[in-house]
Amino acid sequence: MTDRRRINGPSGGTRPPVFASSIKSTTTATERPQRQRQPNELRKIFLKTGLIPSASGSSYLEFEHSASLSAARALPKSLIPPSSSLKLACTVHGPKPLPRSATFSPNLVLTTHVKYAPFAARKRKGHIRDASERDLGVHLETALRGVIVAERWPKSGLDITITILEAEDDRWWGDAPDSHDAAWGMMNVLAGCITAASAAIADARIDCLDLVAGGVAAVVVDESVDGGEPSTPRLMLDTDPAEHRSLLSACVVAYMPARDEITELWLKGDNSKASVGTDDKSLSYETLIDGAVDAARGAHSVLAEAVRESAERLAGLETGYST
Amino acid sequence: MANSLPSLAIPGQRLGPAGDFSAGPGTHVHHSHIYASIAGPVFVDPTQQNATEKSIISVSRTQRIKSASTSAFVPSTLPTTALKSKPKYNTLPAVDSVVLARVTRVQKRQAAVSILVVLDEPSSTLGLNPSQPASDNDNIDSILSSAANPENHSSSDELRFQALIRKEDVRAVEKDRVVLDEMFRVGDIVRGTVISLGDQSFYYITTARNDLGVVMARSEAGNMMFPVSWKEMRDPVTGAAEQRKVARPF
Repeated sequence: MTDRRRINGPSGGTRPPVFASSIKSTTTATERPQRQRQPNELRKIFLKTGLIPSASGSSYLEFEHSASLSAARALPKSLIPPSSSLKLACTVHGPKPLPRSATFSPNLVLTTHVKYAPFAARKRKGHIRDASERDLGVHLETALRGVIVAERWPKSGLDITITILEAEDDRWWGDAPDSHDAAWGMMNVLAGCITAASAAIADARIDCLDLVAGGVAAVVVDESVDGGEPSTPRLMLDTDPAEHRSLLSACVVAYMPARDEITELWLKGDNSKASVGTDDKSLSYETLIDGAVDAARGAHSVLAEAVRESAERLAGLETGYST
Repeated sequence: MANSLPSLAIPGQRLGPAGDFSAGPGTHVHHSHIYASIAGPVFVDPTQQNATEKSIISVSRTQRIKSASTSAFVPSTLPTTALKSKPKYNTLPAVDSVVLARVTRVQKRQAAVSILVVLDEPSSTLGLNPSQPASDNDNIDSILSSAANPENHSSSDELRFQALIRKEDVRAVEKDRVVLDEMFRVGDIVRGTVISLGDQSFYYITTARNDLGVVMARSEAGNMMFPVSWKEMRDPVTGAAEQRKVARPF
């Protein structure tokens, strides 16, 4: 429904227009972001808890800029950043009483909200959650429901709200949409949401079985160095979709390392064509899932350190308070 | 054995075999091992040294003072520090837990209250112990002084757990003679124990004990009153007496 009482900005993108001719002339293959990391090397993760004092638990997560973005910031050639890096904030409110209309629940009632800030993605998002945001919320709830010890918090609700301040791209902005397109960036966003929410829940001192961490792996096709034929598909961990020509399939897991259990699995894409004719076992779905689990293990080490910091902060604060 | 335990645990961290310890608050058991389920300092309760009793591992929500805890944390000289811990990490009301609640509505058959504080089990017994004078009232004073002030809490009742004190739960004797208007007034601070988790919206609280009842109240003139008997409080300025179900003040 249109808002007739206010003068609204354009609902679509507000980025400067980029003309195809200017892309051809000024940007070459060298400006396309290239993955500088090893296939099994993750981006660095910044994760900190307890930044929002009014919430019972909170966390902020940020992925390291890709090398191309750092280079472009130092020496800007275009107004448009070549790639984006994930930034999100997570708040946990509760345990709090259920609304009066709710029915009796002997367990903790979990609600998750994932919202992109209007400026988070290259295409501007509205103020009302759209289908993809609701979808992320459902995935996040599935991932967390298996971790929380819900029966220790009867008759209470827990609200988990994630605001995405900067989202991952689905593809390089200069690429025309093609048949391989899917919302690949959402998968990285979900992995970040899982890790951040886990930290915020631990910060709120809600009973959990383990710290659940999110990880992404993907089978990608890159163009070869000389710009000719695309190379053979390869498995990569923690892919930034902007850095690759196309992603064949990608997988997100929410993984509990202490128990070796997966609470959420989301696999997208089709790499059957890539593995046809080759006996390459490294392109099967199992390896893809294992890759995502490895990425989650990496994220877990950061998560554990952030939670330990949160516990130390609390313990230190309390001793400081009592003396 | 306690030396092998970490002083600080994170969720999912293995603390010890379930054969040697029993799992306390903040932990859970999986594949006959005790794991931490919240992040915080680990305590081993060395209660009984008998072979029959296993010592309890628990992970604290706050830095609570427990005897013979890990020496990594500074022990406080005050025995009442647990009461002073931040209410941010409040535990939920459970059956038998002692709560402080503010009266929000008085009806003919029941009084509605909203729970302000859930007192910890060890601290509540400590607070109710008459041999420790002025222990609980002093320590929770900071919480209550803001809670007793009606301007502070205009809309936050929605965020608190609601509870009911039914007419027959007010006192233990002469239950049928209870007139709720003479027991509670809106704005009073009541100490009670939870008798049931109740239905979807209300807990059930009783004040049928000598040490339970109104602990703080304002008179009609708006002054804090002092208790004079188990059913009367008096205004120090006007001298007017009002009826309440008063908690034992000493």
